[in-house]
Amino acid sequence: MDPRKLFLIIKREYMTRIRSRVFIISTILAPVIILAIIFVPILMTSYDSGQTYQIAIVDHTGQVAQRLVKMNGARYLAMDNTSVDSLKKMVVKGSITGYIVITQDILDGKSNPELVSSGSGGISLMSDVQSNLQTAIRDALLSRIDVNSDIRQIINRHINLQTSKLTEGGQEKQDTTILFIVGYIMAFAIYTAMFTYGGIIMRGVLEEKTSRIIEIMASSAKPIELLIGKVIGVGLVGATQFVIWALLISSAATFGAPFIMQLVGSGSQAHAASAAASSFSVPSIPPSLWIYFILFFILGYLMYGALFAAVGSAADSETDIQQLMFPIILPIIIPIMLLGAVASNPDSTTAIVTSMIPLFSPILMIARLAITEVPLWQSLSSIVLMLLTFWLFMWLSSRIYRVGILMYGKKPSFKELARWIRYR
Amino acid sequence: MSVIDVTQVTKKYGSLRAVDRVSFSVDKGRIFGLLGPNGAGKTSTIRMINYITAPDEGSISIMGQAVGSQSQQLIGYLPEERGLYKKMKVGEQLLYLAQLKGMSVTDAQKAINHWLERFDAVSWQKKETHELSKGMQQKIQFIATIAHDPDIYIFDEPFSGLDPINSELLKKVIIELRDKGKTILFATHRMEQVEQMCDDICLFNKGKAILQGKLSDIKRSFGRNTVILEFEGDGSFIDELENVRINNRSTNYAEIRLLNGLDEQVILQKAIQNVTLLRFEFVQPSLNEIFISTVGEDNIKNQLTKAH
Repeated sequence: MDPRKLFLIIKREYMTRIRSRVFIISTILAPVIILAIIFVPILMTSYDSGQTYQIAIVDHTGQVAQRLVKMNGARYLAMDNTSVDSLKKMVVKGSITGYIVITQDILDGKSNPELVSSGSGGISLMSDVQSNLQTAIRDALLSRIDVNSDIRQIINRHINLQTSKLTEGGQEKQDTTILFIVGYIMAFAIYTAMFTYGGIIMRGVLEEKTSRIIEIMASSAKPIELLIGKVIGVGLVGATQFVIWALLISSAATFGAPFIMQLVGSGSQAHAASAAASSFSVPSIPPSLWIYFILFFILGYLMYGALFAAVGSAADSETDIQQLMFPIILPIIIPIMLLGAVASNPDSTTAIVTSMIPLFSPILMIARLAITEVPLWQSLSSIVLMLLTFWLFMWLSSRIYRVGILMYGKKPSFKELARWIRYR
Repeated sequence: MSVIDVTQVTKKYGSLRAVDRVSFSVDKGRIFGLLGPNGAGKTSTIRMINYITAPDEGSISIMGQAVGSQSQQLIGYLPEERGLYKKMKVGEQLLYLAQLKGMSVTDAQKAINHWLERFDAVSWQKKETHELSKGMQQKIQFIATIAHDPDIYIFDEPFSGLDPINSELLKKVIIELRDKGKTILFATHRMEQVEQMCDDICLFNKGKAILQGKLSDIKRSFGRNTVILEFEGDGSFIDELENVRINNRSTNYAEIRLLNGLDEQVILQKAIQNVTLLRFEFVQPSLNEIFISTVGEDNIKNQLTKAH
């Protein structure tokens, strides 16, 4: 391989893409979309919780209503003296969301309370009201039989399960559910990148074929130089995009976070959500995991990049691509389907075996690395296997590529592709 | 001195022998025509000379060295399937292609400027290729082929799809290059188009080289055996002639090949009796005629019926 030619090819692949409108737009839009996915639900809940649902309580026992009002004065209104007919009218008019009549039978456990409402508020309101009622009624019953405060505490006791992760360096106090989420996010990031950048390589090859520049290129450089130049060039485009996003996100976190907190700060629920989001901060991910992520990302990209290039060279039009891509899409999608099982049981034999399959490793092994302690021999041998697979694919692809780029006007069968590999 | 040597080269695609034990050599400073119908193996041969594909058997050398990355830089290649990067600026594109052929940036820029001026295309430099008209793209394509000032030029079907102005321009440039001592290899199935330009030819048919040598020698060896008629009037008498093959026929024109020792005077007399004769010429056969008589008329017919 001629390093000067390779450099020229990489430079062209990189520069023409970096300056294209598609690159600029997608680089700007992608974080906007991701931010929207994260923050729109938060903003929605803060908007929702800003809206109060008022529920009238008609208490015949005189023991429940004040307790509810004490719990949430904005929601519950004690309206013992209002008739059911006028409450119904208020519900229909929309001045209150609903009403509940508390009778002695309810306290005695002979019947259940009923929320009569216009239907707004949905399931979250219903479950809120149910748990509020439960607490209020239990409290009222406990008061009635004069239970002492010790027992009352026992009954009101809540248990929260806390988790922490044991490593060789000692016990680390950390919420493992966050690592679970990290594993998912990393697996999906690699999955998306393999598809996106692999697709760019494929369309790049196809474009050279359909624009008929390829024969001039083939008379100037070796097919393997063209192929590797494209894979590296597009890879650098991806790296550039990720660096830009990292800078955007970190600066947004520094300068934008206080603003968002203020915006969101009104609702208590939203507060919890944004607190969860901020506790999910970068420093809680160990550096070794970042290194693995970058490594698996690159290896996954290289393996699939070589395959996508082969498809691009074999195809003659966009429509051919759909069929030829099937054998590539399959090994990308299978690990995504297995991801749930592997993530929830990361040390099972199934998880170990599937995560060692080179084509699945970029997605499954990174998820395991994030979630559980993977023995070093497993992670290292999966890296070696991926490297070997990459070289094999690169060889196969360059064989198909050098024949495919010169085949115009027909879509080859898979049998024909196998024959191309054997051509001199 | 031979610049391109093709020795006993065979290229197989599956069971098809696209090129079958072909040998020829191209001398320095000559225009060499690789001629034959579509599918005869011309493009397959040219790709092997360009080191795009490799022969299954035999060897190819350029300037005495086996073909490889080095020899690619000595060749300017205009493929039959032409194209450029659509979304790349003309100037950048030409620079990129010239650099890939081993030129330094400054040399490449100088050469590109020279040819852009020569082709009256300086103002297109900053335009993307897809913004140019077809004729303009063809000019840019020539420049891409010749900018790195190679010693050897290979043109595959160079005149197909060219407008008349660009056709003339290309012919002029080719003759100029030859006069500067460059070597030119043509491949085309339109034999009449290159007849006046070629010094040497090699006729291809079904993957085999069936006839080669200096064009003038070949023509001489066939002797004068063709009559050209130009006339006014009813030309139907031509259809009644015997022992002839009519090659190029239009309302007032005919090229008639004499067979079985027919005397050309017979045709002259018939013509005078039937039409007002404007031109009567007794000449060497055209390349087309040479090809047909070499391959054999029956073979041609077989090929045609197979093709349809």
